[in-house]
Amino acid sequence: MSNITQKGSDEAEFAKPLYTPIKRRSFFMYAGATAGATALLLSGCDDDDDSVTTPSGTVNLGMGDVGVLNYAYALEQLEAAFYAQVVSNSSFSTTFSNADERTALMAIAKHEAIHRDFFKAAITQAASSQIIPGLNPDFSKVNFSDRNSVLTTAKTFEDLGVAAYNGAGALIQNVTYLGIAGKIVSVEARHAAYIRDLLSNGTFADNTTVDTNGLDKAMTVAQVLTAAQPFIKETINGDNVGK
Amino acid sequence: MNLFQIIAELEKVDPEIADRLSHRRSALTALGNFGKKMALAAAPIAIGSAFNKAVGQNTLTAVNDVLNYALLLERLEYSFYNQALSAPTLAANLTSGSAARGAIETIRTHELAHVNLLKAALGSAAAAEPTFDFGTAFSTYPTFLTFAQAFEDTGVRAYKGQAGNIPRTLNPTVGGTQVNLLTVALQIHSVEARHAAHVRYMRRGAAAGAQTSIMPWIVNAEANGAPSAVYGAGNPQANFPAENNLAQGGISSLLTGLGTTYTDADVSAAFDEPLDNTTVTAIARSAAKF
Repeated sequence: MSNITQKGSDEAEFAKPLYTPIKRRSFFMYAGATAGATALLLSGCDDDDDSVTTPSGTVNLGMGDVGVLNYAYALEQLEAAFYAQVVSNSSFSTTFSNADERTALMAIAKHEAIHRDFFKAAITQAASSQIIPGLNPDFSKVNFSDRNSVLTTAKTFEDLGVAAYNGAGALIQNVTYLGIAGKIVSVEARHAAYIRDLLSNGTFADNTTVDTNGLDKAMTVAQVLTAAQPFIKETINGDNVGK
Repeated sequence: MNLFQIIAELEKVDPEIADRLSHRRSALTALGNFGKKMALAAAPIAIGSAFNKAVGQNTLTAVNDVLNYALLLERLEYSFYNQALSAPTLAANLTSGSAARGAIETIRTHELAHVNLLKAALGSAAAAEPTFDFGTAFSTYPTFLTFAQAFEDTGVRAYKGQAGNIPRTLNPTVGGTQVNLLTVALQIHSVEARHAAHVRYMRRGAAAGAQTSIMPWIVNAEANGAPSAVYGAGNPQANFPAENNLAQGGISSLLTGLGTTYTDADVSAAFDEPLDNTTVTAIARSAAKF
């Protein structure tokens, strides 16, 4: 196994199957049939985790279903980091003077943290070599002591999350993963409706998010990442998500 | 629960599926013989559960069956809000220009749009529209909102329960535009969740029943006065767990399996659960005659 730790083209060639994202069915076959070999290879590659992070700070979400899972993980990381900062802000109880609102925001913070931790666990379980790293959020444009700034940003994230899951559903090949996306997206929609009503009661599903056919938004990966990118320090590449 | 209706629906299921699943055919035959020997109405629950165990949950397979099922639920919801907006018993609470009336009108508009979209997608395959009798649902404002919550939360579970039955590559032309049917279903699904969140919060009001601690999301399997079946398990339970489910995606407990400790309330609320069409239809028929 010594050649695994060698730098250079040999290593790149040898490790290629690992770094090539694997599509749904073949992935599970692969994971089962070659689990032993894979484990050996991975143990040899432990400190060589640049398969997803390039030196320039670009994070590649990968291909196929794993790409979709990483995409969801990236967005949930962003939401979780945002709400964690909202509820831990020293002026949280004065920015949000209503105790019911604080209770709800703390619950949302937990939900998003659970989603983030769930995806981390699920991707680690399914494709540990392909999980993206923890991302560094950029909330420099958010004033966490200003109710309107916090809620407007929350609305952006929640509506974006809903549109992202709605758009990604048809990219998912594995029915179990599709089901999990469905379980999460309706909770994000509940969050979105609540946050919108806090900003202006009755806007839970107004015509800025629901069209004349009664449909919520569905956005492509590229559209979502364009909207999310200003809040993430790393550059996210989602070109092959679901492909 | 109208057992005859459910059996009739099952008999309409794609014959290829029935052929493939021979145990389903024998279950039907057994049920038929059983039905001849005793009064069905006398033991609907016993037969219902035997039926579920033998045949399973989602009896819809053909996409048009899924769409007609969605159409039925959307028609039910539209009729519910449409009748509510003209119910004399609710007039004092749904006054013209009020936030409450505005919200219900917004929701009604969406449900009608969903009905029209599904009818357009089905074309001549669209089922005939039934009439809906909601009984005492409009007797008081709190009762109306409790029903609304039940219908919206059930609707969310119903769409989720069919996601795997809609091929992700199905791109029909609806109203002159090519759409991805799974995406459209998801786009309706999240609107229903927005409705559910708002209706739940409306119930906090003093005149609305003063559910002062209700959240926009479902905590554990708390029904807050709605039928408990709305938040209960479907069939089979492994595929359609109750809303207090704490296991997801092969992780047996999200309380402890995520490297940090979360509460039952937060974990259950972070994930909504799907429901099979047989259970959904039974819930709908327990709340309305159609």
